[in-house]
Amino acid sequence: MMEQAATQRTPLIEINEAVCRMVGECYPENIQEFSAPVMESLRSMVPETGSFTVELELFYFNSSSAKFFFDFFEFFEEKAAAGLTVKINWNYRADDDTMLEAGEDFSEDAESCQFELVEVEVPNDVES
Amino acid sequence: MINDETLELHKFMQTRRTLFCYSGPLSEDLLTSISNPVRQQLSESDSDEGVAKRVFGVFIEQAQNIIRYATLRADTGEGVGTIAISVTEDDGFLIEAVNAIDSTKRTALESTLLELSMKDAKELRKMYKERLRSGPPEGSKGAGLGFIEMARRVQRFEFEIADTESGPVFVYRGYVS
Repeated sequence: MMEQAATQRTPLIEINEAVCRMVGECYPENIQEFSAPVMESLRSMVPETGSFTVELELFYFNSSSAKFFFDFFEFFEEKAAAGLTVKINWNYRADDDTMLEAGEDFSEDAESCQFELVEVEVPNDVES
Repeated sequence: MINDETLELHKFMQTRRTLFCYSGPLSEDLLTSISNPVRQQLSESDSDEGVAKRVFGVFIEQAQNIIRYATLRADTGEGVGTIAISVTEDDGFLIEAVNAIDSTKRTALESTLLELSMKDAKELRKMYKERLRSGPPEGSKGAGLGFIEMARRVQRFEFEIADTESGPVFVYRGYVS
């Protein structure tokens, strides 16, 4: 199991045999240093069969991270094509057109994964 | 007596409604330190969340361009440049960036930005997706997506490569409202 608290420039990450969750900002200082352990955890933990859920709620990601997310979704596309049931929830805030568009773009490439865009309410007590 | 230039600098920044300005060597560490106050400034302005996010996005991409591509300071290897965010007359934002570039990169940079400046939102979105699939072009230290990302977030942008005694200098102005 991989657990990593959110930092100013990286999201909270939780990866186990059933779920991968990422919440927060994503514009790491060094994209390779950020992405390598994540992809490594996925490769060792995501099963071949059964089902797996990906929960994402990103507030902002930079263009270097876009490439990471592209590879991230490719990984799950391959798993899904090989027999794993993969559900991806792309959570975006109601007023966030940028994250909605990004989700739409990634969802267009999803063929074997079930990719859903989920609108979430902006919590009143949270300042972002 | 106060040095006139100091007072002029203050007046200049105030008149231009500059929220943030940095000039000097830029590193990822420094970007970490300044990105929170920049965000704070933007969220305290009267703009809506979407506008503030777009401004922040352009700011980050441009700062990372300076870190990766500006002519390096010999002693530290850090990119040197100027980056500023100001409020425009129509209460939108102007993101400005200036940095020296390698003269061998000049033509490629010019043609990339000229191409981007002629594309509409739909074309830019398509281009971004294609670049994401194809991977970074030769010579890119990032994903090669930065300028496309910036072009998608601004209403319009202007650029210029000015000749100076010490070589070509890249000037970028992006407008978000």
